[in-house]
Amino acid sequence: MKNRLKVLRAERDWSQADLAVRLEVSRQSVNAIETGKFDPSLPLAFKLARLFGLRIEEIFSDEESGGSTS
Amino acid sequence: MFCSIKNSAQRRFVRTCWMSGGLVAVLAVVAALAFRLWHLKGALAYPVAVLPALPILWVLIETGRYLAVEKDEFQRNLLVQCLLGGIGGTLAVTTVWGYMEDFAHAPRLDLIWVYPIFWLFVGFAWPVVYRRYK
Repeated sequence: MKNRLKVLRAERDWSQADLAVRLEVSRQSVNAIETGKFDPSLPLAFKLARLFGLRIEEIFSDEESGGSTS
Repeated sequence: MFCSIKNSAQRRFVRTCWMSGGLVAVLAVVAALAFRLWHLKGALAYPVAVLPALPILWVLIETGRYLAVEKDEFQRNLLVQCLLGGIGGTLAVTTVWGYMEDFAHAPRLDLIWVYPIFWLFVGFAWPVVYRRYK
């Protein structure tokens, strides 16, 4: 699954560690999600969406749908 | 097990593993001495023989507890993958060895080795799983 986390993080000048603290997860988790190696659960995806003030589909997109999020 | 301890749940789990390892060693010595000194038999032999297994059961329970309380789903996922590696490796080794015992008269593998074999494979799985998410 593609996502815009890196861009959204950069817009707020947050490091992966900053985002990890806000999400109450490890920095390693943020990195895995950001690089698309780990797909977050719905609760974590909602938490991310709330944190960035966006809808989930504005952050994540299914690769098969061809949506451009990066 | 964890490359760096990140939260209290992980701290507790790692502490439990270390304490359990120490307790297994101590209780194994206690049980061995008890059997050697008092030649235990019958009803008393069973609970004393089980003593070294108790910390092992404690770790298994704590592993389940850790998976239940760990809020970081990615860390949970890493441990589950490693545990699956441990289960798969243990099943593979014990199955292959079992057939070797049956047909090729290989030396008998005591069941007491199943637990260390399991954690050995968990240890092997850890860098493989970890590297996948680097």
